Amino acid sequence: MAGGRRRVLVIEDDPETAEQLVESLSTSGYQVDLAVNGDEGLDRGRSADYAVMTIDRMLPGIDGIAVIRRLREDGIVTPALIISALGEIDDRVRGLRAGGDDYLVKPFAFAELLARVEALARRSATVVKETVLRVGDLELDLVSRTVQRGGREIELLPREFQVLEYLVRNEGQVVPRAMLLQHVWDLHFDPTTNIIDVYVGRVRRKVDGQQAYPLIHTVRGVGFCIRAPG
Amino acid sequence: MFALFAYVYWSTASFVRSRSDGVIAAAHAVLRQAYDTGGRGGLTAAIAQRSADDRSEGGFYLLADPSFAPVAGNLEIWPPALKDAGGWSNFSARDGQPGAADAPLLRGKSETLPDGYHLLVGRNIDDLEEFAQKIRAALVWAIALTFVIGAFASVFVTRRTVGRIEAINTTSRAIMQSGLGERIPLRGTRDEWDQLAENLNQMLDRIEGLMGEVKQVTDNVAHDLRTPLARMRGRLEKAHARPRDGEHDQSLIGDTMADLDAVLRMFASLTRISQIEANDRIAGFRPVDLADIAREVVELFDAAAEEKGGHLGVVADRQVLVTGDRDLLFDAVANLVDNAIKHGREAGAVTVEVSQDDTGTVVSVADDGPGIPADECQHVFKRFYRLERSRRTPGNGLGLSLVAAVARLHGATIEMADNAPGLKFRLRFPSADAPWLAEPDRTGT
Repeated sequence: MAGGRRRVLVIEDDPETAEQLVESLSTSGYQVDLAVNGDEGLDRGRSADYAVMTIDRMLPGIDGIAVIRRLREDGIVTPALIISALGEIDDRVRGLRAGGDDYLVKPFAFAELLARVEALARRSATVVKETVLRVGDLELDLVSRTVQRGGREIELLPREFQVLEYLVRNEGQVVPRAMLLQHVWDLHFDPTTNIIDVYVGRVRRKVDGQQAYPLIHTVRGVGFCIRAPG
Repeated sequence: MFALFAYVYWSTASFVRSRSDGVIAAAHAVLRQAYDTGGRGGLTAAIAQRSADDRSEGGFYLLADPSFAPVAGNLEIWPPALKDAGGWSNFSARDGQPGAADAPLLRGKSETLPDGYHLLVGRNIDDLEEFAQKIRAALVWAIALTFVIGAFASVFVTRRTVGRIEAINTTSRAIMQSGLGERIPLRGTRDEWDQLAENLNQMLDRIEGLMGEVKQVTDNVAHDLRTPLARMRGRLEKAHARPRDGEHDQSLIGDTMADLDAVLRMFASLTRISQIEANDRIAGFRPVDLADIAREVVELFDAAAEEKGGHLGVVADRQVLVTGDRDLLFDAVANLVDNAIKHGREAGAVTVEVSQDDTGTVVSVADDGPGIPADECQHVFKRFYRLERSRRTPGNGLGLSLVAAVARLHGATIEMADNAPGLKFRLRFPSADAPWLAEPDRTGT
């Protein structure tokens, strides 16, 4: 990805949260600019080309939703991740309607934040049309919907294939449970049970069982990640 | 009321008058006939006979010659006012009645006969006037009495009303000051005031019940939050006192994060339930296929059932549409299935069934496990309620509250039945032609 694409704008008024955001995004290889209120966020958002911006819902002065709305009115389409402590469904809808692209409720795991920022950053990058996806010795044929590992076919149910495909498309990234539920099942809520873990567990048994090394990893408290060793 | 009284007076008086006029006209006609058949002699005889008979009934007869000099009858003179005009008239005349102080008021019909003589037939209408006066007096009294009674009644009703309002006010003030224990006293009269008081009391009961539930929930939240928080604190405290140890610290941090996640999930569930109860998701209702949802839930939970060595089946062949929120319905069915797998028999069978008939749509989730003791059935929908034997299985006791909230939002009822063996939950949705479900587009999902 181009260097300019990795620039992230963080608009957050709470100093400690801001510091944590900047630190975790910087560690993941982003160049991070911080704005501590809505006005500063507007200025920065208008002046530079960011790959993604994260916006706190409640800001002193202009609030987060107004910031997004004004930036959108100015024709700035930088993907925006709204971070809110409110979490009410209609608040989420309001945020997305104002032009936000994703919504994250406080408190959140930083791995989840990174996964969502990464997904938004990739959204603005060019999507390459591929028909075969590979991770290590795993091979997904998107046309015939078949999976092979080390040349041997793995039987997957259609939904299991979708889960694996989503993980592979986000190779090396942590995929939070809620994102998986959202993209594979089109359900928009955090499951209160461990059902996603059980489901992914079965996919993992099929994919990683009796293999030299595991590909699918559980990231505790967040979700899953597929990556080749080394 | 005045109009009514005036009408009563007017119609009574005019009825009596017209009867009196009828009597006069009849007498006149008889005399005239006597004249026509018997000439003046016959008329004179008839008058004499009538004067003798009818005297007491107030009849007056007079035959006068062309110069108005009386010829026969019981009036002494021809009334001067009647000399010019024939027909009907009222007049005053002395009738020579002994003891009559004033000349009575008469009404009569006069006529000039073909031979120039004059005939007058009349009646004393003093009685009539008296009668009319009596009616007038009676009516005036009635009006006066009505006023007095009305005044008393309105004072009584007003005082009673104010009294009842004051009772309600007193109770309201007492509630504001000391709490929801007070109730508005009933008078046992079953009138509107009692009904109002009863409704207000029922409202207070409901509020008190809800407050109790809220308190219960708050207590439970406090308890359920304190437990993991205390665990975390203790763990951190111990770790803090110990020298750092990479591997040990790693697992400690992992455990603590898992505990925190449980706390956050509980929060998420609670806010979800209260959002659902706030009803603001109805706006987003769409036609959704319950059979489709049931199949997807079963597919998702198949792995979990398999893990327990059991079987999860679904009976949902044809499309069954209801209007609702897919996420919430999925979550509700998922919670029921999750419960059935967790609390059902080890290696047991769980069946999800979707059916539809004239009375509505039913989604049922049945297991073949130990079921729920009858005395605990009513509690399971309460927030944080957990059966004693389930304390050790994972969960926070919010699942069925969420299912109940989703059901309420969709106008559905939730029932528990004995599956002999096991437990069966039924979500019963109202018939699709219920008015609130009317939805112009029933094709998409």
